Amino acid sequence: MEERVLLEAVMRAGEIMLVSGAEVSRVEDTMNRMLAKSGYQSTEAIVLATGIFVSLDDPEREPLTLVKRIPLRSTNINRIYRVNDVSRRFCSGCLSVQEMRTELEQIAKETQYSPLMKAVGFIGVSACFTPVFGGGFYDFFGALAVGICLALADRLMKWIRLNDFCVNAFCAFMVALTANILQGMVPGYLNAEVMTISAIMTLVPGVTFTTAVRDMLNGDYGAGSARMLEAVVVALAVAVGVGCGLLFYRMF
Amino acid sequence: MIIQIVSVFAVVAVFSLLLEVPRHFVPYSALVGTAAWGIYLLIANNGGSSLEAAFLSTLMVALLSHILARLKKAPVTVFLVSGILPAVPGAAIYRCVYYLIQDEMGLSMSYLVETLQIAGAIAMAIFIMDSLFRLFLLYQSRRLRDKS
Repeated sequence: MEERVLLEAVMRAGEIMLVSGAEVSRVEDTMNRMLAKSGYQSTEAIVLATGIFVSLDDPEREPLTLVKRIPLRSTNINRIYRVNDVSRRFCSGCLSVQEMRTELEQIAKETQYSPLMKAVGFIGVSACFTPVFGGGFYDFFGALAVGICLALADRLMKWIRLNDFCVNAFCAFMVALTANILQGMVPGYLNAEVMTISAIMTLVPGVTFTTAVRDMLNGDYGAGSARMLEAVVVALAVAVGVGCGLLFYRMF
Repeated sequence: MIIQIVSVFAVVAVFSLLLEVPRHFVPYSALVGTAAWGIYLLIANNGGSSLEAAFLSTLMVALLSHILARLKKAPVTVFLVSGILPAVPGAAIYRCVYYLIQDEMGLSMSYLVETLQIAGAIAMAIFIMDSLFRLFLLYQSRRLRDKS
């Protein structure tokens, strides 16, 4: 049953990496390296944007195949790094299959930063970006408030669990609206444009875009175009959200 | 200028929290982002377009990420995705929508084009650096094989 455990562990590793937003070629490479330890003659790992197939085959043994659908995606660089590390140690013989499995389960569960730290991330990015876009002293604090609003909107959306488009559109809407309301409340001191741009930088899909480009370079056009489309959809959502926020403010 | 550099360092460091960058790599990714923004400012202040600035600063991010990834034995993604943040065309997207609502089609379209151009420039820069490093690795492995 050793092979079966290995196959499941390899599938788990691939799943964690793909969900965390690793490039497809990296996932395939990691899985293939681990599968090479099985002793089977032909080993194959196929990773698509939405699913993983792993198969072991040998003339003398029954073939083993696992298929898994991956509906989620997010960005968690720590998990990519940790799985990479585990596979490196497994392939050099420092880890047994069982140890690897328990470690993978642990990686899948743990998060490094609490929700509060995530909120600090949103608030910090929107506040600290203001000098970069030419904002003044007061804009910093304005953007701080906008960032708090953005973090709250993000929490709310995570709780409701809507799709990507709605989440990003709603967050961008809140950003544009609060930035303009703040500017209306303290005219002359705050610049809504600077505050909005700083706050939407966290929503703009730079990370997805980067991974999409690298996937395409590696010849994974399926995953690359899926991710590129995701980036376009998110960018459109941000644009729609900002637009609605501006229109909404103007109406009242 | 110094305030800008310091704030970019802070931005990339805090952004790393959102991406769950491993704790001990946060300073490195922040440094990568800061170096990139330094290049961006250097070019933008000396009469370069935002397109050139975005292209060259991304090239810098990719170069540093590849070097750090080799030194620290970590995936390139760790340093690349957070370092790229300052070059992302958020401002152009905003202005595109803003002028669309102001009914100024010409300006809106010019910002739309700018957004697409910057996205293209970032893509090109990542392409080029990835390819260069692949060539370098190929050369290295061939040399090792010749030796043995």
